[in-house]
Amino acid sequence: MMGVAWYPIFLREMLLFRRKLLRISYLFSAMLLPIIYLLTFGLGLGRMVQIKGADYLSYLIPGLVAMSSMMNSYTWVANALNLNRLYFKNFQVFIQAPIRPSAIMVGEVLAGMVKGLFASGLILIVGFVTASHMSITPLFVLTLLLNCFLFASLGVITGMLTKSYEDTATYNNFFILPMAFFSGTFFPVDRIPEPLQAVVWVFPLTHTNFLIRQNSINSPALLSLVVLFLYALTFFVIGSRLIRDYSE
Amino acid sequence: MIEVTGLTKQYGNITALDNVSFRVGRGSVFGLLGPNGAGKTTTIKVLTTLSKPDGGRALIAGHDVVKDPIAVKRLMGVMPQENNLDLDLTAYENLLIYSMLHGVPDPQTKIPSCLHLVDLWERRAELVTRFSGGMQRRLLIARSLLTEPSVLFFDEPSIGLDPQIRRQVWDIIRKTRIDGRTVVITTHYIEEAEALCDRVGILDKGSLIALDTPDNLKATVGEYIVEFVNDEGKLIQQMCKDREEANSLVLCKDCEVKIRKSNLEDVFIKLTGERIE
Repeated sequence: MMGVAWYPIFLREMLLFRRKLLRISYLFSAMLLPIIYLLTFGLGLGRMVQIKGADYLSYLIPGLVAMSSMMNSYTWVANALNLNRLYFKNFQVFIQAPIRPSAIMVGEVLAGMVKGLFASGLILIVGFVTASHMSITPLFVLTLLLNCFLFASLGVITGMLTKSYEDTATYNNFFILPMAFFSGTFFPVDRIPEPLQAVVWVFPLTHTNFLIRQNSINSPALLSLVVLFLYALTFFVIGSRLIRDYSE
Repeated sequence: MIEVTGLTKQYGNITALDNVSFRVGRGSVFGLLGPNGAGKTTTIKVLTTLSKPDGGRALIAGHDVVKDPIAVKRLMGVMPQENNLDLDLTAYENLLIYSMLHGVPDPQTKIPSCLHLVDLWERRAELVTRFSGGMQRRLLIARSLLTEPSVLFFDEPSIGLDPQIRRQVWDIIRKTRIDGRTVVITTHYIEEAEALCDRVGILDKGSLIALDTPDNLKATVGEYIVEFVNDEGKLIQQMCKDREEANSLVLCKDCEVKIRKSNLEDVFIKLTGERIE
């Protein structure tokens, strides 16, 4: 039982997610932001831009995939945990179950990953239709999985720390949104003024954006992979501890 | 079965529990009675591992709730004050997830049996969001029974329910008293404590101010209460040890007088000077 103790938490999220998917409004809202970016930056502004000899859309789509995976993995977990803990109080059902805190963490993170991968999949479909060059390498898949894991874990941390629903939006505005714009989603990081580049390379999404556009592993890619692993591990451990130390 | 010693809990400057101690024997129904904010829910939260105490100790079947929480969780069933069901899941799905979380060995048998007990089997495939408040409370009871717990905690089990539904909930709680199961109930309803509990602890402002059987507690204020409105329009309640004393008191009054049996609220009034609200 203890080996799969995370499964009921994951299953619960999937049952709720399935019901949400049946509502058109959910699919629409999940797709809306990336489609707006695609239309404005990709099909509008992007027609006049080339990056490293390729059309802008081929550059943009992997970035949008990375951004969507971050946004969806993070936001769904952070919002759900915040609401379930503070308002609906059904997070307390997990705390009162005879399972380890890490099982709760794994269940929540895997569910967040599925939501992140689902949104990324939608962008990829658009990418295959619109971009001239799109390829999915094993490194692309590994990076995407790591990114979803990392940001779902960060979502748990936010969901456990926030004291109100409004707090979640504050974290979003200060950390997630700047990351979405400055981490190489829309333009290469080397176009940013040099002193700021050091800051930007601290963001995990910058490493994701860098890795997701690599065809194979070289030294800089390996370094970015290690950075993502360390972020993922750190966030997972912190999230598990916050669950373990939960007390009302 | 339950042993609480010197339990203390602070929220900032507010003392939610102040050196609370009590014991609950196996197979008995113990009630914690008191007004809102008295510390009843905090006590339940500590006993059910949701809240860590600042001082004192609580043991359930010999297991410390802080040091050995997983062992405690295996023994207990909880019906919380809030309806913390998943509203967008069906009744059956709610119980399925709960049974998986607790490793219930035979959910295919257990879930129908618990749903039949609370008369919700026919509604098992409906989303909980469509249930009335009373149905949701009944489903919470069913959920708390799934694991066949040795100790059941009911936190304000009939809060917000109309009197008829409340009595239905009481009947179900009475049915849970089987196989030596220990039950702890918190309530601010006098009738609920009197109807269900073998022993009652009265909490006020975080302190346990009385602890005994309902009859013994009522005996401290007398068997009868004489009520009348005085010249200033204020309701006066006089406690009488027996009917004879009550009758003689009535004869002295030239206004409308009511004689009634004493209840646990009278005990609370005697101890604190205030009503349970």
